[in-house]
Amino acid sequence: CSEYQKVLKNEEVKPKYDLAQKFYDEGDFKRANRLYEQIVPKYVGKPQGERVMFFFANTYFQLEDYYLSGYQFERFIKSYPKSDKIQEATFLGAKSYYELSPRYSLDQTDTDKALTKLQSFINTYPDSEYFEESNTMAKELTSKKEKKQIEIAKQFNKLGQFNYPILVSAITAFDNFISDNPGSIYREEALYYRIESATSLALNSTENRKKERLEEALDSYNTLLRYYPETEYKKKADDLAKKVQGELAQYSESK
Amino acid sequence: QETSFEDGKKYILGGLTVTGLQSYNEQTVVTYTGLRVGQPITIPGDEISAVIKKLWSLELFSNVDMFYTKIEGDKIFLELNITERPTLSKVTVFGVKKRKVEDIINDTDLKKGKKITESLIANTKNYLQNKYKKQGYLNAKVTIATAADTTGTNTQSMVVNVKKGDKVKIRDIVFEGNEKLSDKRLAKSLKNTKKKKLYRFWKKSKYIEDDYKEDLSSLVDAYAERGYRDARILSDTFVKVNDKNIDLKITVEEGDKYYFGDINFVGNSVYTDRQLSQVLGIRKGATYNGVLLKERIADDSKPDGQDLTNLYQNNGYLFSSINPVEVSAVNDTINFEIRIIEGKETFLNHVTVTGNDKTNDHVVFRELRTRPGQRYSKDNIVRSIRELGQLGFFDAEQIVPDIINPDPNAGTVDINYSLVEAGSSQIELQGGFGGGGFIGTLGLSFSNFSLKNIFNGEAYKPVPMGDGQTMALRLQASRTFRVYSLNFSEPWLGGKKPVRFNLSLSRTQQFATSFDDRGRIDRDPDRGFSITGISTGLAKRVQWPDDYFTISHSLSYQLYQFDDFNNGLFNFGNGSSNSLSYTLGISRSSQGPNRIFPLSGSNFEVTAKFTPPYSLFRGKDFKQIREDIDEATDRLFEIGPNSTSPSEQIEFVELSDELERLEEERFKLLEFYKIKFKGDWYTQLVGKLVLRTNAELGFLGSYNNDIGDVPFERFFVGGDGLGNFTLDGRDIIQLRGYENSSLTPFSTNPITGNQERDGGTIYNKFSLELRYPLTLKPSASIYALSFLEAGNAFNNFNEYNPFELKRSAGVGIRIFMPAFGLLGIDFGYGFDSDATPGAVGPNGWETHFIIGQQF
Repeated sequence: CSEYQKVLKNEEVKPKYDLAQKFYDEGDFKRANRLYEQIVPKYVGKPQGERVMFFFANTYFQLEDYYLSGYQFERFIKSYPKSDKIQEATFLGAKSYYELSPRYSLDQTDTDKALTKLQSFINTYPDSEYFEESNTMAKELTSKKEKKQIEIAKQFNKLGQFNYPILVSAITAFDNFISDNPGSIYREEALYYRIESATSLALNSTENRKKERLEEALDSYNTLLRYYPETEYKKKADDLAKKVQGELAQYSESK
Repeated sequence: QETSFEDGKKYILGGLTVTGLQSYNEQTVVTYTGLRVGQPITIPGDEISAVIKKLWSLELFSNVDMFYTKIEGDKIFLELNITERPTLSKVTVFGVKKRKVEDIINDTDLKKGKKITESLIANTKNYLQNKYKKQGYLNAKVTIATAADTTGTNTQSMVVNVKKGDKVKIRDIVFEGNEKLSDKRLAKSLKNTKKKKLYRFWKKSKYIEDDYKEDLSSLVDAYAERGYRDARILSDTFVKVNDKNIDLKITVEEGDKYYFGDINFVGNSVYTDRQLSQVLGIRKGATYNGVLLKERIADDSKPDGQDLTNLYQNNGYLFSSINPVEVSAVNDTINFEIRIIEGKETFLNHVTVTGNDKTNDHVVFRELRTRPGQRYSKDNIVRSIRELGQLGFFDAEQIVPDIINPDPNAGTVDINYSLVEAGSSQIELQGGFGGGGFIGTLGLSFSNFSLKNIFNGEAYKPVPMGDGQTMALRLQASRTFRVYSLNFSEPWLGGKKPVRFNLSLSRTQQFATSFDDRGRIDRDPDRGFSITGISTGLAKRVQWPDDYFTISHSLSYQLYQFDDFNNGLFNFGNGSSNSLSYTLGISRSSQGPNRIFPLSGSNFEVTAKFTPPYSLFRGKDFKQIREDIDEATDRLFEIGPNSTSPSEQIEFVELSDELERLEEERFKLLEFYKIKFKGDWYTQLVGKLVLRTNAELGFLGSYNNDIGDVPFERFFVGGDGLGNFTLDGRDIIQLRGYENSSLTPFSTNPITGNQERDGGTIYNKFSLELRYPLTLKPSASIYALSFLEAGNAFNNFNEYNPFELKRSAGVGIRIFMPAFGLLGIDFGYGFDSDATPGAVGPNGWETHFIIGQQF
């Protein structure tokens, strides 16, 4: 029976506190966590409570249990707003949510939470040593959310190739993307795919709306080239534009 | 005195003492205030008031005061005086049965250690009084007293005294002033308030004030529906007859009967008057019916009703409003103007989804009927919810569409679908004894699989999920047989169109066995037979005739191989047989919204399965083969297996070999066609009571009479309908109240003369099932059912008689848990005799266990 087991079953608080500290310092966070878990409630309102709670939260973080570390850091921040560790706790709390953020194609509630926390950290501690890291994380999460939005729009474009009315949705979704995310790294992609959707829609339109839609497709093309004259999609965009112009030429001939 | 915050002076906090403590530690309270000795503090200032507010919000103290005790230079010493609220030590409840006491304590949350406040006492009292009134104890009285308890510091014990009194029933309801509608009619309109009657046991006579008030307004509605729109209740009196009985006296004034006059539409530009009045469906001269008018304008009880509001709401006019206004009345005729504000045509802007923690966006978005840039339509939202529920990946009861950012000026609106993931994978691992040895089964079924992540180690949590694919793997093995099967399906092949792709591979091996001298089963590895099958299919949802339709194609091939093994399927034990068939299926499925417990809609399926008609172009004389077979069979029958003459024995063996050769010739390439129809209708009767009506029939035929019906693909009717280990593509048809497959007709084996059950080639079945859900929670859905069924199977079309049905009735229960699938038990009584030769009289009771069968 090890010392750890003995202390774990012991009712007394002090040995647990000491041993937890020892494990924590040695980097055995799993055992430290078990001990802290037992004594945290006992230290609420006591001077050591601050220390215990921080370490407790951090053991979860080190164990990569980010749900609980996020929650425990949040509790710490609420309970000890004047602590010296507040900056680190805020950062680790935000980072916990960052780690929880799932891949772009799933619900992004945790991403939003992480972004809010990171943003508030960046605003509150502009001189922090974690500033750079926070900024990088925030950027990554922002582009993840953008990726989500553009992938959904691209799916509409894909579905629309077989079910033309969905192309209208694709165009709206690309428009929304462009206006919602002004500085996005996916902006160029969105502008290009908008041409694809608009062109398919125009080419498959009924006669009475065709001309108007062809012109709209051409407008999308012009927009892309105006913002990104050297775009990587140039060749594909040019091909689409040629088709549109060809169709439009028939209108000017017939009239 | 009044001091303004602006006059606040800055001090350094020199000390903080807490007085009035009874059970708390001083340090705890100080820590809680958040104040620290040595910190700067402004007094008066908002720090102090924040502290007081914070302490109050704990609801632990009945008084919180803050004073300063002294000031030394810039140091200030504060005193916090608090009065702790007493805590509850013990609750005693009188006047209630012992076993109910715990319920009461749980409901009211009167736990030990709870702080006693005035509101706690008042709330508890009101809660209990109302609780008993709702049960019909009108005279219930509850008193609550507290007294100091000296066993703990600052604790109080509580005594709750309940006097239920007698249950009060309504002896009589007297109506006065009614001439046009009878007393009976009016009494009927009071839905929840009934006078006591001996024979009515399903609705107790109770007086509950809230229900009664509601009933009175439905009484007025009863008049309004019949044209008496001025009808009103002059008075309603409550007469106490004695402690147990009351009378209700309702006096009404009926007024005159009115009729609808002209109905004009104002403000409509999208729809013509004609279109609108068609939907409204009220003609001039009809009896005035305010309730109907309201329903036709907006039916609150049916979200997808055919009313004017939905006409607009389903076609893009989210911001429309429709108001009927009485413009004039001539004698008993009322003229209406229906004023419509159409608002701006509304388009969806952002469509988002939350709550999909496992399922990828593309799986959700491809099912949504609401997309950005589309016109707003309530109908499409309802459809989207249905489609998402049908996926089975989300809890169908918890799909919530949130309308956000409606902008009447821009004509745009956002929708967010909030989802809750539901587990839908099943794992089956079982072992058991059967067929003379140990049988082990491993079954894995993942219904939201992600094939592209199959080599991505990180995606294994515990299996790659989220792309909506299905992967099922099943291995079953014993000493005598092995079955392997793998099934994969992708509902949107290529992600562009709803084309379901399905691939399944299977291999069944059966080994010949013998018993060794110790009576154990011994496997003979050189003898046996196997079936290897591959089948692939495509199913496509189509837009025409409507978009509930699916057309499916599938191609399957089976190879039967025999090595000196006769398993009874064929009359030969060596050689092989091939079956290549194509199946065309057309189905229409609109049942919903819940996959496990559909409330409405229907499900039809017609399938035609056929093989190429090889005999037409194989150039073989099957007539000759047939005749040879018949001849050999007749001779074999004549000789019999037990003949003693040596020459006959030799002839018997020779003929048997000849027959095997002929039989293999006959069934080298299997040919048949099979047509099946199945239809299910779900009708919501009352509330969640649902009637499922089912009809099905099937027919198996052959192209060439000389080859005859294949021994495969037959119909076996009767019993629980569970498809167990079968080799021959048989259809097992459920018909409860009879033993498994017991309604399948017998036929005579031409050689042995024995009666054999080798499956019907034609069957029909009808059933009615009433279902009622006990709970539809995602963790477990449970429903009870009762059924009436009738059906039968026949050996050939000449014997077929659709009216010669075997009937049964019974009851049962189903439990669906995501991890286990469907479990259930049915008790059925068969009214007729089963197909066993010589059986007479009713079959009687049968118990059926239903496991894993989906719906």
